[in-house]
Amino acid sequence: MTRDCEEIKSLLGAWLDGELGASEAAEVRLHLQGCASCLGEKARLEKLQSSLKSVLEAKASQLAFEPFWAGVRQRIAEERPWHARLIDWARAVLSPPRLAWAIPAVIIILLAGLSLEQFFPGWRWALNRSNLAAVESIDGHGFNVALLRESKTKTTVIWLFENHEGEEETSAEPVSGGPAF
Amino acid sequence: MEISEWDLIQKCQKGDVTAYEELAAKYYRRVFMVVLGMLHHQEDAMEVAQETFYRAFKNINRFKGGSSFYTWLYRIAVNLAIDFQRRQKRGVMDFKENMDEVIVETERLGSDPYREVRDRELGERLLAAIDQLTPDHKAVIVMRAVEGLSYKEIGRTLGCSEGTVMSRLHYARKKLQEKLGSYL
Repeated sequence: MTRDCEEIKSLLGAWLDGELGASEAAEVRLHLQGCASCLGEKARLEKLQSSLKSVLEAKASQLAFEPFWAGVRQRIAEERPWHARLIDWARAVLSPPRLAWAIPAVIIILLAGLSLEQFFPGWRWALNRSNLAAVESIDGHGFNVALLRESKTKTTVIWLFENHEGEEETSAEPVSGGPAF
Repeated sequence: MEISEWDLIQKCQKGDVTAYEELAAKYYRRVFMVVLGMLHHQEDAMEVAQETFYRAFKNINRFKGGSSFYTWLYRIAVNLAIDFQRRQKRGVMDFKENMDEVIVETERLGSDPYREVRDRELGERLLAAIDQLTPDHKAVIVMRAVEGLSYKEIGRTLGCSEGTVMSRLHYARKKLQEKLGSYL
């Protein structure tokens, strides 16, 4: 009998909430008809529920709208600093259910990235273009500038040379100025 | 002419704060009740409830009308309250420190003062007892008592199964009954 009562008491909350299946609900109802102890438990649970609602309603009824709204309006008017917004965003994005998906997704992406070489041999070549010597030239301050960069040996050569195209037109003498390093 | 809630929401989505004020006036007490049930401290509850309305306004363009506006609002409130508790652990609030407040309340009592005092004391003790539960247990008990939500709806809001909601509710009620003892 005691065991039955314990089982019934463990179901009482869900029964009061209307969350039990039809057969279990009927079982609880039948038990309550002949058990004073479980009826007392039911009454306590009901009082617990109603007391909580009434105490919260009483407190909320004392809250005036004007001061409440003043606080909300002030928050709306204030522009939050970028770092606070970033934290808010991160909290929203990294909430536990999303995080549960995000972690395996990041692992899969990392593994896929690491195994790309097997499927696309030489794909790194496209990303490592900086290993090749790159030549850029810029006109500036009456000089031509040639830039030779070689990242593998970390060598940069800047080549400045004068533009003698105009002089050639007026002078027959060969240009003697060599490159200046 | 009374403007429908959806019209107000659409105005809010265009940045109309006055329209939002109407929505806030409609729901601020319900949101405050839920948050107060979870946080116990009035000042904390006020702060979190205000933050709820602020966040809701800032993100109102995300509200597409899939649920009721209030459902969307209380989800924000519950999650903020849980987050607040996790970040800021505090002790149990003392019972009525201010004697003047007690006297004023006593003067307001009706025909059965003993019962009223006892009920009020039960209410305060109940809030204090809830304050000692974990944020997740508080959330289920308050959402069930205040909003009368089904286990499915509570589970959807908190991101857990109906079975988890049921076991959390059972545990929370048992703990509250233990704490309140003869007051129930």
